[in-house]
Amino acid sequence: MKVEALQYGDRKVYSVAAFNRGVADWLTRLPSVWVVGEITELRRHARWQSVFFTLKDPSDGACLGVTILRSRFDALRLDLADGDRVHVLGRPDLYEARGDFRLRALSIERWGLGDHLAALERLKRKLADEGLFAPERKRALPRLPRRVGLVTGNDAAAKRDVLTTIRSRFPAARVLVAETYVQGPLAAQAIVDALDELCSAPEVDVIVLARGGGSFEDLLPFSDERLVRAVASCSVPTVSAVGHEQDTPLCDLAADARASTPTAAGRLVVPDVTELQERLDRSRAGLERGARRALDRGRQRIEQLHEQLRRAPALMVERKRARLEHAAGRLRALSPRSTLERGYAIVRGEEGIVRTVSTVTAGDRLDVEVADGRFGARAE
Amino acid sequence: MSEPSFEDAQRELERIVERLERGDADLDEAIKLWERGEELYKLCVGRLDAAHGKIEELARRVESAQP
Repeated sequence: MKVEALQYGDRKVYSVAAFNRGVADWLTRLPSVWVVGEITELRRHARWQSVFFTLKDPSDGACLGVTILRSRFDALRLDLADGDRVHVLGRPDLYEARGDFRLRALSIERWGLGDHLAALERLKRKLADEGLFAPERKRALPRLPRRVGLVTGNDAAAKRDVLTTIRSRFPAARVLVAETYVQGPLAAQAIVDALDELCSAPEVDVIVLARGGGSFEDLLPFSDERLVRAVASCSVPTVSAVGHEQDTPLCDLAADARASTPTAAGRLVVPDVTELQERLDRSRAGLERGARRALDRGRQRIEQLHEQLRRAPALMVERKRARLEHAAGRLRALSPRSTLERGYAIVRGEEGIVRTVSTVTAGDRLDVEVADGRFGARAE
Repeated sequence: MSEPSFEDAQRELERIVERLERGDADLDEAIKLWERGEELYKLCVGRLDAAHGKIEELARRVESAQP
């Protein structure tokens, strides 16, 4: 379309209508796009051809007027109300009569909690498939970190809860705080940057990511893919303390430990110094008890052995004596006495025991031994 | 020869007692074993006394270091 300008000397001047028409015409070259925002100031009248509303960016309040044909709006049956989150497909458009810039909507889709949840669920599944949440990836938190890194908003509660808990449990703890945005469109990247900064700070052995509870949208940055990946690949162990018990942003799953509240996170990263001292004392007492017990056992065993040793030689001599007695008994049993008891006698002459008659002559004196004694006799 | 450890001495003493109680050693040998056993006993008791002294000393030191 040709836009006519009037010529005043060397100046080209457009009428308002011509200007508006020109800009409007130029705008038609822009493509249709989807815009996301929150519905406010929804105005629908039965006698109006179009429905009007303002699309507001919830993070910074930027506004965009939107029009849509009433017939089309009604056909969508979305039953929209102020505050609803929507995706609007439309074309930039200038209302020539008033020079109003707006989005001429072709279609509207409700973008509610369900859609968010579905998108989150898809991301969660994707990252889980990559193994980002695998239990074997979890690292143990240091027992006694040299420094604790804390990423938090200047939102006082979460920060104060973490710091108070750390101080009360372990007064000597050193904490390096990185304050950053914790909600809104800039938050995810800002938190990633803060994490990087703390990772490269010297002596930081554990990092806490803390944010108090908030609306579902408030916590969305903590499910941002960039942040979740940064938490998973962080070079020091991380503790996620975002939202409250019932919220599970994805960074909770990627962190090495999850705390249900900022206070719980404080408890996770430093030991309780009193408890530590008590445990040490108990260990030391156990040490002494153990040493004494080992000593007592050793002494008992040695004394028992000594007792056995003392008794052993006498016992042995006794046993040898018994064996000797036994032999003597057998020896005695083998002597001729038992034979004599059966009625035999030993006869001795001058040349000893008489074994044959040839050694005896009549008149010899003989000595006869029987079982109970001996008597003399003379040979005939 | 360096002195045997408490455990080694105790083990040797146990073997000697067992040998004597079995009663198969000859008399001369038995006397020698007994003497050796008494020697080992003294050595073990000495070790235990030394350990006891050390424990007491440590306990005292811990006691006096208590705030």
